[in-house]
Amino acid sequence: MSKNNNDFVTIYVMGKKQKVPADLTIMKAMEYAGHQFIRGSGCRGGFCGACATVYRMRGSYKLQGALACQKQVEEGMIIAQIPFSPSEKITYKLNEIKANANTFLEYFPEIARCLSCNTCTKACPQDIMVMDYVQAALRGDIKLAAKLSFDCLGCGLCAMRCPAEIVPYNIGQLARRLESKYIEGPTEQVLSRCEEIKEGKYDKEIESLKNADKETLIKLYNSREMKNE
Amino acid sequence: MRLAYYPGCTLKTTAKSFDISTLESSKTLGIDLIEPERWNCCGTVHALSKDDVMHHLAPIRNLLRIEEMKKTGIVEESKVITVCAMCYNTLKRANLVFNSDSDKVKKINENMENESSVYNGSVQVEHLLETIKHQGWDNLRNKVKIPLKDLKVAPYYGCLLLRPRGLGIDNADKPSIMEDMIRALGAEPIDFAYKQKCCGSYHTVFMKERVADLSYKILNQAKIAGAEIIVTACPLCEFNLSHRQTEIIKNRSEFKEFPVIYFTQLIALALGLKEDSMVFGENKTDPRPLFKYKGFLKEI
Amino acid sequence: MSDFKSGYPEYMQESLKKVSETRSSRFGKEFTPMTAEQRIQILEKFHPDWKPQMKRGLKIGPSKGMLIPHEVADIIESHSMIKHDEIDLTKIDYDLDVLIIGGGGAGLSAGILAKESGIPADKILLVQKLRLGDANSKMAQGGIQAADTSIDNPAIHYLDVIGGGHYANKPDLVEALVKDAPDVIKWHESLGVMYDKNPDGTMLEIAGGGTSRNRMHSCKDYTGLELTRVVLDEFINKEIGYTEFTSAVELLMDDKEQVAGAVLYDLETKEYHIARSKSTILATGGFGRLHIQGFATTNHYGATGDGIVMAYRTGAILRDLDSTQYHPTGAAFPEQIVGQLATEKLRGRGAQPVNKYGELFVYHLEPRDIESSSYIRECYERDNGIVTPTGMKAVWLDTPMIEKVNGSGTIEREFAAMFRNFNRWGIDIRKEPMLVFPTLHYQNGGVEINANTETNIAGLLCAGEVCGGVHGKNRLMGNSQLEIYVFGRRAGRAAAKRASKTNLGELNLNHVKRYDKWLEEAGIITERKSPIILPEYRGEKTLSHQLKIM
Repeated sequence: MSKNNNDFVTIYVMGKKQKVPADLTIMKAMEYAGHQFIRGSGCRGGFCGACATVYRMRGSYKLQGALACQKQVEEGMIIAQIPFSPSEKITYKLNEIKANANTFLEYFPEIARCLSCNTCTKACPQDIMVMDYVQAALRGDIKLAAKLSFDCLGCGLCAMRCPAEIVPYNIGQLARRLESKYIEGPTEQVLSRCEEIKEGKYDKEIESLKNADKETLIKLYNSREMKNE
Repeated sequence: MRLAYYPGCTLKTTAKSFDISTLESSKTLGIDLIEPERWNCCGTVHALSKDDVMHHLAPIRNLLRIEEMKKTGIVEESKVITVCAMCYNTLKRANLVFNSDSDKVKKINENMENESSVYNGSVQVEHLLETIKHQGWDNLRNKVKIPLKDLKVAPYYGCLLLRPRGLGIDNADKPSIMEDMIRALGAEPIDFAYKQKCCGSYHTVFMKERVADLSYKILNQAKIAGAEIIVTACPLCEFNLSHRQTEIIKNRSEFKEFPVIYFTQLIALALGLKEDSMVFGENKTDPRPLFKYKGFLKEI
Repeated sequence: MSDFKSGYPEYMQESLKKVSETRSSRFGKEFTPMTAEQRIQILEKFHPDWKPQMKRGLKIGPSKGMLIPHEVADIIESHSMIKHDEIDLTKIDYDLDVLIIGGGGAGLSAGILAKESGIPADKILLVQKLRLGDANSKMAQGGIQAADTSIDNPAIHYLDVIGGGHYANKPDLVEALVKDAPDVIKWHESLGVMYDKNPDGTMLEIAGGGTSRNRMHSCKDYTGLELTRVVLDEFINKEIGYTEFTSAVELLMDDKEQVAGAVLYDLETKEYHIARSKSTILATGGFGRLHIQGFATTNHYGATGDGIVMAYRTGAILRDLDSTQYHPTGAAFPEQIVGQLATEKLRGRGAQPVNKYGELFVYHLEPRDIESSSYIRECYERDNGIVTPTGMKAVWLDTPMIEKVNGSGTIEREFAAMFRNFNRWGIDIRKEPMLVFPTLHYQNGGVEINANTETNIAGLLCAGEVCGGVHGKNRLMGNSQLEIYVFGRRAGRAAAKRASKTNLGELNLNHVKRYDKWLEEAGIITERKSPIILPEYRGEKTLSHQLKIM
């Protein structure tokens, strides 16, 4: 299928002018223009955050963030990829820390520098209220920090824009692990089923299924009771 | 009466008991305090920042949340109640700047472009003590179940509640609001020389000994004047006056632990609320022996 | 509703209207599930796996004769990327107890368990050709199976797995899968995974295609993301060695016929490194990016089947590679997201597949191969599909039904990813259905292992999608997330155990030389080289004018 001129847009890949089909994502447009990704491409479906990209539109001062696999090119887009966000992930022993505000201040003392400027929230391609979850962590509201940060892909755009040099996604990660481990706690039904399996409660039944011939299995499978809701 | 309530971070971490006693006392007084769904730091930690605009973003963003609460009918008035002197001062100061400097207003709004609405400057910042005062001291007096008879209470104002002039909740030279509250609760206010002296504030982090000295002077003056307990309306004052007693006792063997509590706890006590509304157990200096001795709390 | 703007072109509006009009009459109705006979008929006629001209028999190696897709046979019947005599095996860059190739859920959990089994952190190395954790593991949306409710148990889970896999599964592996499952969930919770719960604190468990009980544990529709990032966080907490943007290009062997590490290739500096290791775990995932039969894929950028190639060169046995999974609901519109996954959990929560007239045509929770085949039949035999602007045919997946069944707010709460990813393109899936068509999703077969993840070659262990046998000829939803952690953890333990009692001999690449001989003897004359590491998506214009100057 041949395309006419209207089907193309002009973009600037790290400053270099390129004419690309208008219906492509930023990622596919860069490949069309001859780039092969080593960094900057991951799941290609909006789930991994490897393709963090910043861009400005010609004629606008606004610096915007996007995932290259989830954003269509537009006329006059000036694009730079942020394939890596420099940050050290603090290591900790989850079993030995407490679910409170002091834990966050101990591991991330810089969160006290948060200016509430909301730049992180503006930068997030997932539209997460980043500043709100950093603030929630700062005052020890772990449940809220975990909930608000849940959809984070760790693309790093918030960390690159923060004037207080905070790395929000590491804070969200700690909040979620603390929330599950200490505030929600383990689920009873899982623990008791593990015990049953350990005691060998289902061994006999499974052993007989393992030894059954195909005909028997077919019969059992086709007549099995469906208890889906 | 439904009013917006800005608790601030201290009341959510080291001073949870003040949060609880505030909410419970207010409820009894007919004030329904509603915390905004979204709020951030009041902005006080940015006080040292040179960029004044950045300094005001945090408080203005909180005030915008309050305006949104009013717009959606969650609260009745464009007003926010706080009980922390630091939050009170920061929010009120930002509001003042916002309403007096149109250039700054423009800059602040430009930096908050992603908010769905623009702050109009309509929010009134009020300390809970003022709210109670506006209800009338008689209203408070009428609701008292356990008059705090013969209790000698020294009101400690510290600095931020009264200063700078124009922002304070009372006359900076001759305040009386805490005394009026104490009288309404049936107790006796004790005037003492250091009631407006600085407690040492954030120096408590790096200069413990210096703050311990200041705290000692304040506590000692109150004691000499005949007080049995100190009441504060700032969580940092409360923290310094009570936690620094550890260092004071270490340096001065003659010093005996002296109870310091939050004003909302004292109100809750007089209103006859249950003990879990006052959470005295979380105070560094336990006032319960005194209250039991006075007959305000039952012996367990 | 007046300011509502449809996300679909004008010519689809009539069909959309029918879908919306029939919604009330479809509410609470289910299409009758197929009988066993009907299932076989539809598979034979419509499933892409059953087209004989799309496959060929392998001409070389221990699994010679096995029918596999041409695209897979092509990478297997290829020369090595390296020449056996151009690599200096005397300079060891990494001297290890455990080498892990692949940084998805299986590789990461293997690393953690190897460390916990006593291997020092600096004696473990994980190599990953993308970022750590960037893998199909992270993209799983729907959930992970584990039989932990009172009406369920591992034996029922076993029967679902083996029936869904058309009885071709390896029983020992299915046993391991279903018996370890609750322990995997327990492990996840101990690490701080936020599983969705009911208000009473019990697990929220939903239905999946081909499962007889509600057994799917999920974390909204970001299940894979949540599991991977927690396990990754713990992996880093354990300070285990890893290196990113580095690919293994060939396994190493020693003079005792054991696998003894790998030749690593830094994708950025282009230098090679020698990793000698007492145990080597392949956790390289599947082959979705080979685009079997030209299908779009849900898979991540690195899913190029590297593991099966490298394992086969050492003489490892492959199985069930004749079968490939096509996920029934790949996005078919808009063009920018064609092939991306629309989770099966949508159907688990009530979304119905309907044709252009708004009619039901298949039970919404058939096993994936049956469900996919029926969409293909509806589009191509019955011509009841909707044609997209790029000429694809597709069926509707009626997502607004989810809110009708479970109440408004359900989609934003439980399907944050789906809602967001379609909303970016102007489609509000609370109000309008999705257009879907089967998309290449999963490598059902792979390297044969036993329940301890060992292959027929000493020193080589495998875990995750690179393996065959767990799922037989068709995998059920939620069993790949489970497989990753069941066998990843087992691999970590087994690799640690083996390392403690293994002595390595002298390293060699004789198997690479032998492989060239196999190709020659089979009369395969080709320039092809593998593993291919990354797929080629650059435009023809660029590739035809490239000069290798620098």
